[in-house]
Amino acid sequence: MWAAAARGLARAALRATVRPKNEVEQKQLCAFGEYVAEILPKYIQQVQVTCFNELELMIHPDGIIPVLTFLRDHTNAQFKSLADLTAVDVPSRQYRFEIVYNLLSLRFNSRIRVKTYTDELTPIDSAVPVHKAANWYEREVWDMYGVFFANHPDLRRILTDYGFEGHPFRKDFPLSGYVEVRYDDEVKRVVAEPVELAQEFRKFDLNSPWETFPAYRPAPEPLKIEAGAKKEDAK
Amino acid sequence: MQTTGLVGLAVAENPHERLRILYTKILGVLENIPKDAAYRKYTEQIVNERFDLVKKESDVQKLQDKLNSGQIEEVIVQAENELSLARKMIQWKPWEPLVEEPPSNQWRWPI
Repeated sequence: MWAAAARGLARAALRATVRPKNEVEQKQLCAFGEYVAEILPKYIQQVQVTCFNELELMIHPDGIIPVLTFLRDHTNAQFKSLADLTAVDVPSRQYRFEIVYNLLSLRFNSRIRVKTYTDELTPIDSAVPVHKAANWYEREVWDMYGVFFANHPDLRRILTDYGFEGHPFRKDFPLSGYVEVRYDDEVKRVVAEPVELAQEFRKFDLNSPWETFPAYRPAPEPLKIEAGAKKEDAK
Repeated sequence: MQTTGLVGLAVAENPHERLRILYTKILGVLENIPKDAAYRKYTEQIVNERFDLVKKESDVQKLQDKLNSGQIEEVIVQAENELSLARKMIQWKPWEPLVEEPPSNQWRWPI
């Protein structure tokens, strides 16, 4: 009985429960990525295919409308559906916001991701002329991050309260915000006051002491030879 | 009664004629793009392939099967989209070299 269990365990160890790699789809996406990069070299800065078979196109912000129109109208692309429009805040970069468009092609059953960048003050062209679905998504990005979209038909707040100040999804906006609202019986309306927390904010450092991805270490910087100090004449 | 089965897409009478006109227009617009642009090369390839199939096959059902791109009305819509795209490409000129390089840490992940 123990021998049978041991044999089962040995067999299970040989077949690890990892998602099998789909080489065919990987090759197809790589080929399509190269195809698009060849047609639009003016705007595409980088193309990558993730290990989960997701194609990503990195674009210069001037090229949003040309690239999205190409992906929508070209016969070999036909990405008619805008599935998602979001932003990512990475404050350490010069252009801190990364705008991400997820497109779906119904004809070819395939997805693609288009990424651009901007900072707090530079406006980005609105995708509404290309995909009507971008309307409320761009309103959300404006409300949550503060990215302005030029030529948007109706850019106003969509999720925050009417007089709300600040852009909540930015990394420098605190978790509990700056104001809290309560009903005040004296003035008979809702008032906004600075937030008072019963317990001070605790930040837990969840980093493990062990290195998480040893296979993805950054390449060590090559040792540079610097000019040594001049030798003074010894007397 | 004939129907495409798709909402808002009416059955096209004389699709071969319509496709012939559209493909000739696309090829005419592509003439204004420099010959070495990848967009011109690939689009001409697609359009010529489809145009040859349209010229040879006169039965609509068999043409749909050969093109393998949905109903013939959908193929007409694809050709109209390609035509409008080709006209816009002439303004945008995407075959030129890269507009601006990103900052070196822009696309690095993990940061």
